[in-house]
Amino acid sequence: MKTVILATAIRILIPIFIIFSVYTLFRGHNHPGGGFIGGLIGAIAFVFHTMTHGPQHTVDTFLKVNLYGYPRQPNQSRSLYLMRMMRVNVWRRRKMARHPEVKHRMIRIESVYIIATGLLLAVTSGVFGLLSGQPFMHAYWTDFYIPILGKPGTPILFDLGVYLLVIGVVLKITFVMSEE
Amino acid sequence: MNHLLIVLPMLIPLYGAILSLFSWRYVRAQQIIGILAQACMLIASFMLLFDVNEHGIRTTQIGSWPAPFGITLVADLFSSMMVITSAITGMAIYLFSIKGLDKARQSFGYYPVLMILQLGVSGACLTGDLFNLFVWFEVLLICCFVLIALGGTKPQLEGAIKYVTINFLATGFLLTGIGVVYGILGSLNLAELAVLVRTPVSHPALITMAGMFFLIAFGIKAAIFPLFFWLPASYHTPPIAISAFIAGMLTKVGMYAFIRLFTLVFVTDQELTIPLLTVLAGFTMVLGVFGAASQNDFRKILSFHIVSQIGYMLMGLALYTPLAIAGSIYFILHNILVKTNLFLISGVVAHRHGTFALKKLGGIYLQQPFLSVLFFISAFSLAGIPPFSGFWGKFMLAKAGFEIDSFVIVLVSLAVSLITIFSMTKIWNEVFWKNKPESDPLLNVMTEREKHNNRLLHLPVAFLAVFILFIGLYAEPVVAMAQLAAEQLLNSELYINAVLKR
Repeated sequence: MKTVILATAIRILIPIFIIFSVYTLFRGHNHPGGGFIGGLIGAIAFVFHTMTHGPQHTVDTFLKVNLYGYPRQPNQSRSLYLMRMMRVNVWRRRKMARHPEVKHRMIRIESVYIIATGLLLAVTSGVFGLLSGQPFMHAYWTDFYIPILGKPGTPILFDLGVYLLVIGVVLKITFVMSEE
Repeated sequence: MNHLLIVLPMLIPLYGAILSLFSWRYVRAQQIIGILAQACMLIASFMLLFDVNEHGIRTTQIGSWPAPFGITLVADLFSSMMVITSAITGMAIYLFSIKGLDKARQSFGYYPVLMILQLGVSGACLTGDLFNLFVWFEVLLICCFVLIALGGTKPQLEGAIKYVTINFLATGFLLTGIGVVYGILGSLNLAELAVLVRTPVSHPALITMAGMFFLIAFGIKAAIFPLFFWLPASYHTPPIAISAFIAGMLTKVGMYAFIRLFTLVFVTDQELTIPLLTVLAGFTMVLGVFGAASQNDFRKILSFHIVSQIGYMLMGLALYTPLAIAGSIYFILHNILVKTNLFLISGVVAHRHGTFALKKLGGIYLQQPFLSVLFFISAFSLAGIPPFSGFWGKFMLAKAGFEIDSFVIVLVSLAVSLITIFSMTKIWNEVFWKNKPESDPLLNVMTEREKHNNRLLHLPVAFLAVFILFIGLYAEPVVAMAQLAAEQLLNSELYINAVLKR
């Protein structure tokens, strides 16, 4: 389904979808919203992108991380080398990519890993209660408010996990379906 | 501490599944994680059993929301015994899968799904909430669907479709039943339901009607007459490591839920339910065993025997005395171990000789005497020859039946026992005893490596056989524990007080 209008519109819509999904995620504890709905809204962005551009392009755009690096010099100390490598990957990346000595490696974020991270976050949020002798999933809240996010606590970790899980599952389903 | 112990049988497989998902590309790592998780699970479930045995029924409220509003997890003796048995069979299945399952299937998420299946089993056994029970059965259903269809060969897909269609129907009935119960009584917490059902204002007829929905739903899940037809159609299609776990464990989880609900909640109209259950138990036994007698395939015989053994468990519930329910519990534990082991043995045989058909097999007694001994133990446990484990279960059931003068069902069960011996002897004669039929000698050439793998496959079978021998030869503590569990089931005050903290 390649239409120019949708393909152009989706570029503007993707950040809006993602921001709105994050807003829904953090709104969720006392109002309608939460991890599941937020995850679905966030996944819409990627689904539309896949529909217009194909799965390969979506993976290239959103789910690939380029890491830059170069071999260690003979006399360079290890800590200096590590700091350089970190700087190469954080600061002025585009310029470094054109540098002849720098090699780059691509890491593809598989949707399975997103699913696993989500599950890990969600389950671990419940373990905090167990560690202090309370039942599983006992909630701990802080005393202060953060302006937009609200009051942080372990249930946010759970919602974040659900959010990632839903996005991962929808991405996986979308990629499998569009490849067939 | 008890908060931790009750949740551990669910947390360990869940964390195992997450770690296996992270090592998606490295099958070796998944295998190691799986074995470690199973070992932890085994330890945790034994600790849970000792704790429950010492302190009585243990409960925890997820998220500190008090019962009956929050989700309750309850561990009594029956559920912790189920959890232990699932941990033991899980360990055996993992040991078997490493060498006994092809690499392609292992690398497509077999280990995480199996781990989540175990999570579902623990969840269904430990939950104290009707809706939660439904959710755990959904988890089981989805995992089984994936496992049966994993690999995507034609018979597998056919079996998976049959399995899923019928079980979706069961889920529908279950959900309807839950809706009706909630509509009548306004609660889903099992302990509170048990209280509400026993108050004089409840409507016994309506509650019995809701109970019939559960009878059909768990009847399909546990494969009782006349709803068992999906089981022999689907259980023999997937590879043996998968079908052994599903066949050993899943119908018994259905049976567990059956016993739990019909001793705790749906007890108001026993003039109707008990004769009904008795008839169903009798037919389940007889039809299952006749189905098995007519089959000529190793796995199909075993599949039909699952149905007939379910009849015995139902018979214990139908007799409804403490001894009968203890017999039922003992029989469930024994049957999970024995049935899984028989399936695994058929897998070892098929790994060596490449077929499950009785006609093409033969002479294994000469080639693999150790395997023959293991089969002998398991098969005669299943048939109920003393001193093996099946005997004690059947003995308790028969004694309980004679005590309340239900002669017909006891006679039926004893006759079914005889036919079980007949089919086990048939397997013994055809597979182990008779001479190997003439076939192309090139078919049976194995490399050294394959022979080594085949020897490794004996390990899980021997592991399970140790437990089978233990509960058979040293039956007294297990039987005593089953009787305690039955006492806990029948004195629902204990359960109610433990959950509602009265």
